[in-house]
Amino acid sequence: MAEGQFLKATDLQEACELLAQYGGKARLLAGGTDLMVAVNQRKLFPEVLVYLGDSGLNYINAEGDNLVIGAATPFTDIMRSDRVQEETPLLAEVISHLASPAIRNVGTIGGNLANGSPAADSATALLALGASLRLRSKTGEREVAVEEFFTGPGETMLEPAELVQEIIIPRQIGGAKWAYRKLGKRKAQTLSIVSVAISCPLEGGQCQGVRIALGAVAPTPILATEAARILEGKAMDAKLIDKAAKAAAEATRPIDDVRGSAWYRRRATEALVKQLLAQISA
Amino acid sequence: MTMKVVGQRVKRYDGMAHVTGETRFVDDVIVPGTLTVKALRSPVSKGTIKTMDTSSAEAMPGVAGVITAEDVPCNAYGLVPDQPVIADETVRFKGEVVAAVAAVDEDTALEALEKINLEIEEEECVLDPLEAMKPDAPKVRPEGNVFMYDERPFRQIILGDIEAGFKDADVVVENEYVHPSLEHAQLELQTSLAVPAASGKLTIYTVSQALYFHLGQLCGILQMEPDQIQCKSWAPKTGSSWRHNAGFSDVNYIGGTVGGGFGSKNDIHADHVTALLALKTGQPCKWRWTREEDLLYSTFRGAWFITIKDGVKKDGRIVARQMKSIRDAGGYSSLNPYVVDKHSFVATGPYFVPNVQIHGYCVYTNKPPASSMRGFGVTPSVFATELQMDKIAQELGMDPWEVRFINAYRTGDQTPTRRVLNSVALVEVMQKLAEKAGVDLPDKLKNMNSKERGWT
Amino acid sequence: MHSLELTVNGRSYQTTVTLKTTLLEVLRDKLFITSPKVGCNSGDCGTCSVLIDDKLVRSCITNALSTQGKEITTVEGLSKPGHLHPLQEAFHEKYGAQCGFCTPGMILAAKALLDENPKPSRKDVREALSGNLCRCAGYGKIVDSVMAAAEQMGQAKN
Repeated sequence: MAEGQFLKATDLQEACELLAQYGGKARLLAGGTDLMVAVNQRKLFPEVLVYLGDSGLNYINAEGDNLVIGAATPFTDIMRSDRVQEETPLLAEVISHLASPAIRNVGTIGGNLANGSPAADSATALLALGASLRLRSKTGEREVAVEEFFTGPGETMLEPAELVQEIIIPRQIGGAKWAYRKLGKRKAQTLSIVSVAISCPLEGGQCQGVRIALGAVAPTPILATEAARILEGKAMDAKLIDKAAKAAAEATRPIDDVRGSAWYRRRATEALVKQLLAQISA
Repeated sequence: MTMKVVGQRVKRYDGMAHVTGETRFVDDVIVPGTLTVKALRSPVSKGTIKTMDTSSAEAMPGVAGVITAEDVPCNAYGLVPDQPVIADETVRFKGEVVAAVAAVDEDTALEALEKINLEIEEEECVLDPLEAMKPDAPKVRPEGNVFMYDERPFRQIILGDIEAGFKDADVVVENEYVHPSLEHAQLELQTSLAVPAASGKLTIYTVSQALYFHLGQLCGILQMEPDQIQCKSWAPKTGSSWRHNAGFSDVNYIGGTVGGGFGSKNDIHADHVTALLALKTGQPCKWRWTREEDLLYSTFRGAWFITIKDGVKKDGRIVARQMKSIRDAGGYSSLNPYVVDKHSFVATGPYFVPNVQIHGYCVYTNKPPASSMRGFGVTPSVFATELQMDKIAQELGMDPWEVRFINAYRTGDQTPTRRVLNSVALVEVMQKLAEKAGVDLPDKLKNMNSKERGWT
Repeated sequence: MHSLELTVNGRSYQTTVTLKTTLLEVLRDKLFITSPKVGCNSGDCGTCSVLIDDKLVRSCITNALSTQGKEITTVEGLSKPGHLHPLQEAFHEKYGAQCGFCTPGMILAAKALLDENPKPSRKDVREALSGNLCRCAGYGKIVDSVMAAAEQMGQAKN
């Protein structure tokens, strides 16, 4: 059996250089909560592991109108950050429903995104918050919106030698209403059957820039854009909420799996969107 | 007189070892030179093995031994000994063991499995017990898909005169109930460690919930004398509970430390395979199933399809019960016939019904064998009969409590299996229960007791 | 093979591992510390829970090489001969252990909680233990045990 290499990246630049050097052979290791499951199940045989635990990518900073979170920041740190709780409370709420304490202690937000799961819980929060990602490689960097990042189940637009450097989230300034609900088989340590995150800034009682994010109901986490358009610039009432909820269900492309049927997922999406919009408008 | 134990709260004898991490479950027993066991499992639900060539696997460095059906002295075990340790020719469920390997480590063992040349000719299978009962269904077993209780294809329980009972009834309430299959998901995986001695004797560390039962079966499989095997479960080292192990012939015998069983360890899952490999290789052999294997292929509570037809008087009395229960047993008998027995015995619940006809079927399908789980078939029986009580209440427009009080067993009642009950307290228990649940029962029910019928 | 140095229950160890070795394998197979159990090998059940630098983690999905130089605590490290940690005491007294398989992980999850929050509510306890499964379903008594330990530890401080 090949010996394999375990390489600790001491900073971002080194991580990028190692990725460039080893190309597709190298896998990034942060918390390992997805990667090591694949290794244990013999679905993945890494030859080179680039460890990001000491790479300095663990930070939560305010930059202008944005909150910037290093990709290797564990979920517990994000959830407990005063700044996150004040400026993007939706993200803190979503993380509190993600996996379990032991997983949140080491699992990182960048890892959750790069794993590309349609059920990635952090993705629904970030979609609703209008976040973008800074991707970095040895040769350069680019910033992409979260909705562009996911390309299919387990697939993202990351190039083999590219990594997620940080997550850029517009700070929610006063008045922004939000709501989140995750349906799983149980409350903790469970994958979403359906999750819905809504961010809805209200100006003079009217929705301004509402974003409705849906998880586990399509090949990638998605935004229900038509549903948002229905609400945009309007004051919510029961009829409008109904219409938006139906539009959100229309936007799904769910599958049948062990957790739930496509039929259930579509109906649950409609019910959750309705429930959360009612909660926001109340 | 103050008793030391009776009437006192007693700490668990093994509690101290549990909280300090000292308890040794089977997987925690470390014996130098232990080989890792892995099994090759059938990829199809039904088929005939055409080729089984293990020579390349055996030739691999690090592989100490490979066993197939040919290596099993007596290749049939179980309550009804119909299950092979290792499938011989015919496979009856996806995941059935067709060969096993002992190697120096897990990687080598898994690589060896890949080198076994296995060809199975897939055959039409049947997965639904209702389909399996049809005469032209694919045969899970040559003798038929339904277990024979003596001359009948079902366990029959008869009391009184069922036809007279229905004639006497004012209404008939008939319903179907389905109880899906359920996995124990006990935290401790199916695990076994077999350690051979130069004398030819074996020591087996087992997760068994049924030690003597399994010891007897192992002796049969291995064709060994009972006292050649020490079927040993592990006890904590703390305090005085550390005792000597004992063989079958010596009744000074240690109860097992089981990391959760719930019925999943009433069947041998791994001890026979580790025993055979230990005897073949002369080295200790440990087999710990993966969680995936345990969820997919270990025993479980099989599904039930239950029909209850009750003849009921307008006053709430059940005067006739006809019940047909079909148990999806999977590919082998395991404990299923007994599970169907117990299920059928309690088919009237804790209620007196004078005219009863129960038919319990144990039906084979091409699935892993189902077996015991928390109540040996009683739980699904109670599930169906209690729902039926609510349906009866609904049909008659009665309070569900009242229907239960009216029919509850009283002293002197006869059960469907003709046992006369002489110590009954169900009415009083339900009265207490209502009180605790904050339900104010009508006086009529409050005044009932278990001594008298009350409504005759 | 890669060299790995780590501290377990206050004692330092040096061993060798491969790229895919987990912390659980190091503890059980190399150091013969067997209180962390193999339950699922996928981070779902919590029987392999240990503390790394006082943080609760799943050792079955922790790459061993990522623990280089770290301090690991298992339940064996909580007690000294004749002296139990209050959590161990409480789990024994209040019947928090049934079959015992989840118990080491439960106690460590509870310790991680009490280290941060010495006066938890029952809800806090349930949340902190939410990733640890007990199939005997003894959750009520487990929560009782953690609450009793918290009280005991609070009194000891005053």
